[in-house]
Amino acid sequence: MNKITDELYERFKTNLESVNGTCVRASKADLGKAVAGIFTEAGIPDACVVETPLMKEGGVIEALESAGIRVCTDHIRLNAETVKGGVSENQYGIADLGTLVQGRDVIDERIVATMSEYYIGIVKGSTIVPEYDDMFDLLSALPEIPGFVGFISGPSRTADIECVSTVGVHGPLRLAAVVVDDE
Amino acid sequence: MSSEELKQEIRSALDNTTLARTLGTFCKTYPARRENSYKGVDFEAVREQIKTVKSYAADHVDELLPQFVENCEKRGGHVFVAKSTEEAMEYIRQVVKEKGVKSIVKSKSMASEELHFNKTLTEDGVLVQETDLGEFIIALEGNTPVHMVMPALHLNKEEVADLFTDYTKEKNEPIIAEEVKTARKVMRERFIKADMGVSGANVAVAETGTVFTMTNEGNGRMVGTLPKIHLYIFGIEKLVKSFSDARHIFKALPRNGTAQRITAYISMYTGATEVVTDKEADTKEKKEFYAVILDDPGRRQILAEPEFRQIFDCIRCGACLDVCPAFALVGGHVFGSKVYTGGIGTLLTHFLVSPERADEIQGICLQCGRCKEVCGGGLQIPEMIMKIREKDMENHPNAVKKFALDAVTDRKLFHSLLRIAAVAQEPFAKGQPFIRHLPMFLSGLTEGRSLPNVAQVPFRDIFPTIRQNVPNPKGTIAIFTGCLLDFVYTDIARDVILDLNSIGYLVDMPMGQACCGCPASNMGDVENARKEAEINIEAMNAEKYDYIVSACPSCTHQLRQYPKFFEEGTPMHERAVTLAEKSFDFCKLFYDLGGCADEGDGKDVTVTYHDSCHLCRSLHVTNEQRELLKHTKGVEFVEMEDHDNCCGFGGSYSVLYPEISAPILEKKIGNIMNTSADVVAVDCPGCLMQIQGGLDAHGVENIKVKHTATILAEKRGLI
Repeated sequence: MNKITDELYERFKTNLESVNGTCVRASKADLGKAVAGIFTEAGIPDACVVETPLMKEGGVIEALESAGIRVCTDHIRLNAETVKGGVSENQYGIADLGTLVQGRDVIDERIVATMSEYYIGIVKGSTIVPEYDDMFDLLSALPEIPGFVGFISGPSRTADIECVSTVGVHGPLRLAAVVVDDE
Repeated sequence: MSSEELKQEIRSALDNTTLARTLGTFCKTYPARRENSYKGVDFEAVREQIKTVKSYAADHVDELLPQFVENCEKRGGHVFVAKSTEEAMEYIRQVVKEKGVKSIVKSKSMASEELHFNKTLTEDGVLVQETDLGEFIIALEGNTPVHMVMPALHLNKEEVADLFTDYTKEKNEPIIAEEVKTARKVMRERFIKADMGVSGANVAVAETGTVFTMTNEGNGRMVGTLPKIHLYIFGIEKLVKSFSDARHIFKALPRNGTAQRITAYISMYTGATEVVTDKEADTKEKKEFYAVILDDPGRRQILAEPEFRQIFDCIRCGACLDVCPAFALVGGHVFGSKVYTGGIGTLLTHFLVSPERADEIQGICLQCGRCKEVCGGGLQIPEMIMKIREKDMENHPNAVKKFALDAVTDRKLFHSLLRIAAVAQEPFAKGQPFIRHLPMFLSGLTEGRSLPNVAQVPFRDIFPTIRQNVPNPKGTIAIFTGCLLDFVYTDIARDVILDLNSIGYLVDMPMGQACCGCPASNMGDVENARKEAEINIEAMNAEKYDYIVSACPSCTHQLRQYPKFFEEGTPMHERAVTLAEKSFDFCKLFYDLGGCADEGDGKDVTVTYHDSCHLCRSLHVTNEQRELLKHTKGVEFVEMEDHDNCCGFGGSYSVLYPEISAPILEKKIGNIMNTSADVVAVDCPGCLMQIQGGLDAHGVENIKVKHTATILAEKRGLI
């Protein structure tokens, strides 16, 4: 896969913002700094982090800890009940919708993306496809559909009371994507 | 339930000011928001694909169902195919008992409502929690959903605050953002402790054993992420063949349902996924994953009936509710059952919940056809509702309706009644253009409008006196006047003739013609509709003419329906086809025959246009009449808001449901008055009667309602 183009990144960002999410772009080296920056600015004191090789390489845990944020890397199911932040990597993205796609059956990743108040979804730029149809083509062509596939488009929302659109119900109240430039 | 009880339900829904405000606003803003969400997406192509994949699945359900079972089980799921709702519930009760389930968190599942899931398990001592905010609110209220997608639209934030205060024993302020926080707090506790999560499926993929759930609030993700046991409940209609097929449904579902390009979450589970079974020890195992699939007699009956099979193409988006003028007023507690609401809800109720309830509510459908325009599966909802109406009429003939329709079918009797009415109404008319209290069979119809007089001389007596000066005629056209032009608006029939004469066509009026049969069809009386078709096929003798013209789109629509009343291959069917193919509505025929010209007296007049349901949605004529008007010298054309919204007439509808018809008319009158037009052009005499009546009831004298044929005749100096 190729590095994400500026045009595709902008498309992803604009569409994510249109569903009340935010988006930043970072190099691998700056990944930790980008994640810590978001939580610091939002005043998030602690976070459950499900580490992946990309996140290790980007120094996510170190950066969070250096910023004074308490990090939990195990007992995620238990910790997520009280911890405010959540960080995990997503397997894909859809630029046309600003969607993050979880494409594997790792329960801790699902927990942090669901239970946290502020969720940061990391995604490699090269895995962001332009359109919704591209995502279905990609998933359909996999040798086996992963046990869990989840499309996440912005924070949770409802309009169930008087049709007034309100952000943040059972899932995260806030959501940010960090798109990592990879090659 | 008697019709009086239903009317009581209607009245109390109309009295609910919250429902009127929230549902009214939602439905008003929905079309534009929906359209916006489809930018860059070809809706017609999407629904065509949905129809293709869903109808394929319906045709191959007996292959897809075992395939789903096999594939889901291969990935560690347990699947139970239930042959009845009772069997499904019994199986679930057993699982709940064996696994020692004490508390359940549910995300939205309409199929579970068919099973009386909550009630049954609550009685078994299990704590069952609805977690969708709207569902949670109505559960606290002890009510049922008012809308398929937004279940608690009938309650305002103050009422919600009271319900939450009662439930949490803490004071809740009527601030929506705070109420949402309360729901989060209360529910979080439940999610964490629940033994079992229950989900409904939007789609189930046979080839992979995958189930899809679309949510916004995140409760769907919670029930699938936290509890150790996960149960899916859905019907066989949710099956599609391939993972790739599922995509089409999720293109239309969020756009049609809530005017979103995508919802916050789409979750896809294939078999048993990982879950934390002991959070203290951080133990991870495969969850216990169950799928209960309803393959009950109701669903099989849908498949067995060719006219209703397309119900399987429904994606449960609720768009048919959001554009329905009647639903916008009364909501789903009236226009629905305890499970399913609106137009599609009437059909699902008929097969899956209660045929009796469906019989009661089917009459609320105006047959305006707006739902068909937006339906994500391309379902012919009004036609199917009409079939239910016909069945109901057949099984429970209503003596009064039947008498009225029999009388209309007996042309001589009906025409005699109308002639008597023309005389008998005189004391009531008092020389006014409209009467407020009507005699005889038209009584009781005057809610929010007045009605016109029956003409002193019917058109059939006027016709021979019209001098048609057409040297070298290009052809001869037979006019089908229909009851309203023959007996009420005789001037319109004259104007149609003069307009057609002016472009070189002679017009004949076959005198044996009777009512087109539309009222009978609308009330589900096929027998009388067929009789009337026979009479008119004989009388019109279409073989003799170049075209048949009608200035009433409901009549034109009905004439075009005639072939379906006769068996193919019979001489009557052949004649019906000939008549149908030659029948056109005035504006379409006049335009096609070259009637559009830059003519007119040049005197300034502002004209707006109301589209009749039959003309725009059955006959698909929306452009010709506008072109005719815009080209008329002196006419300034302005569109009104919601110009193609029903005026509430709906033939006999305004008689049967004046409570619903009147507020629909009110909206139309408001939109007309906002245009500052001098004239409302219409092509349907029924709409003309309804709208003129509404303006008259409002005391509006400076806006006239005129048929397009009349405007052309006036402006071109033909009369």
